[in-house]
Amino acid sequence: MSMPLSIAIHLINLLILPLLLTGIIRKAKALMQNRVGAPLLQPFYDVWKFLHKTETVSGSASWIFVWSPRVGLAVALAAAILVPWTGALLPPGWAPATNFLLVLYLLALGKFFTMLAALDTGSAFGGLGASREATISMLVEPTLVIGLGALALGAGSTDLLTIYGAPASPFIAILTGAALVVAALAELSRMPVDDPTTHLELTMVHEAMILEYSGRSLAIIEYTVALRTCILLGLAMQTLLHAWPALQALPVLSYYAVSLSGLAALGISIAVAEGVLVKLKWRSVPNFLAFAAVLSLLAALIAAAQGGV
Amino acid sequence: MNLSQIDLLAAGAAVLAVWTCGVTRVKTQLLGLVGQTTLLAGICVLLGLEEAAWHMLILALVVFSVKAVGIPVFLGKAAERIGIVRDRGVSNNSTLILLMGCGLLMLGYFMTPHFAVPTMMNRGAAGMALALVFIGMLLMVTRRLALSQVIGFLTMENGIFLYGLTQTNGMPLLMEMGIVFEALVGVMIAGVVMFRINRSFEHIDVSDMRGLRH
Repeated sequence: MSMPLSIAIHLINLLILPLLLTGIIRKAKALMQNRVGAPLLQPFYDVWKFLHKTETVSGSASWIFVWSPRVGLAVALAAAILVPWTGALLPPGWAPATNFLLVLYLLALGKFFTMLAALDTGSAFGGLGASREATISMLVEPTLVIGLGALALGAGSTDLLTIYGAPASPFIAILTGAALVVAALAELSRMPVDDPTTHLELTMVHEAMILEYSGRSLAIIEYTVALRTCILLGLAMQTLLHAWPALQALPVLSYYAVSLSGLAALGISIAVAEGVLVKLKWRSVPNFLAFAAVLSLLAALIAAAQGGV
Repeated sequence: MNLSQIDLLAAGAAVLAVWTCGVTRVKTQLLGLVGQTTLLAGICVLLGLEEAAWHMLILALVVFSVKAVGIPVFLGKAAERIGIVRDRGVSNNSTLILLMGCGLLMLGYFMTPHFAVPTMMNRGAAGMALALVFIGMLLMVTRRLALSQVIGFLTMENGIFLYGLTQTNGMPLLMEMGIVFEALVGVMIAGVVMFRINRSFEHIDVSDMRGLRH
């Protein structure tokens, strides 16, 4: 792909898509509940509004509280550039940086700082949210690593660009894709695990952690969360698209269009699921995530049994 | 190993059976059974189209209407009448049974070369059929209620059906129909027995019936 085109697509990916996807999910969810809902571009207005508000920082908070949203943003931006979540855009020369383990643990680093910041202000809800977030990410991590590991085993490389460039067995791709969708739901604190719109502090996971934030930091957090949503759902969508080898042969721009419509479809189906499903009891979250873990375990064992492609 | 379309459908049925292992709600278990049997009927259709054998299409129709619609609807009605919603299983830990199901699926997969008929097209399906039989046994052993043990029995029956379908040159239609209706009669009798047990003991939890041995 030519350099200017690659840069243009990256700019669209980083600046417009994340908040637009959030808007699409919210709008679809509102329609599912028979509401009109906020305009499609409301997340953009929200971020703009937060940027112009005064920020309040608790007197007992340390530098971690101020810096953790910035660290999260930097890490998410790096991951968004490295992960081919709308199809391969980087030249193959980036190989060591696009290792899937590096990207996964970069995202985990961002989450680690969010949890530290939640504990930093000493609010009870922050601690509660952080402990739940830590538990969920511990349960999700094997799914992500084993699932992507299965794909890596099939492609013979841990490099994401190579994985998504090589043909894969459709069975492994579908199993891993389904596992990644479930893992992404938990990782992004979405419906069966956590209700993103709840305002009952005792049940919140993600919202409880960012309760103390305001102003510019909140704007950064909103954008980072949108970006993470894009990365994880995009990764799941790419894995599912990987099951149809015919799509690989498409020219770059048409594949980009296919990826975007796939991403939008995934967002809308999440909104529909959120309209239909009820939130799980905290006790049964591990059972729910076990299904995802088993899916990726199956994919990995089959990849190992096939010994490559 | 190259997987054909039929192998993929068989693998999908086996994965659905593994999923059923981790589910405690009886209605959802029945949904898993419906999906699994529908995929088997799909294999039947594909085989029929491949060999232009019209009796396979009739068989697919019968399998679908009896095993994917008739029996699950009957069992669902039975569950409603007895008033059961969940089967928590003997170990009270559905995740453990889910993982065991996963292991059995892999066992079936690795046994494929020993059980597949070398001259047949869809050798991968043999392992999946074996896995279905194993998982059916697991379901029968680990479930507490008679109703969900019947689901395990049907899963096992599906496995045997799948093996016969993909690893032989096809049985006469009459035989296949006979087996399907025999399963139907078996389930009907199990249903009647379940009502009886429920009336005599006010529950169908078989693990509380150990006292009968003495």
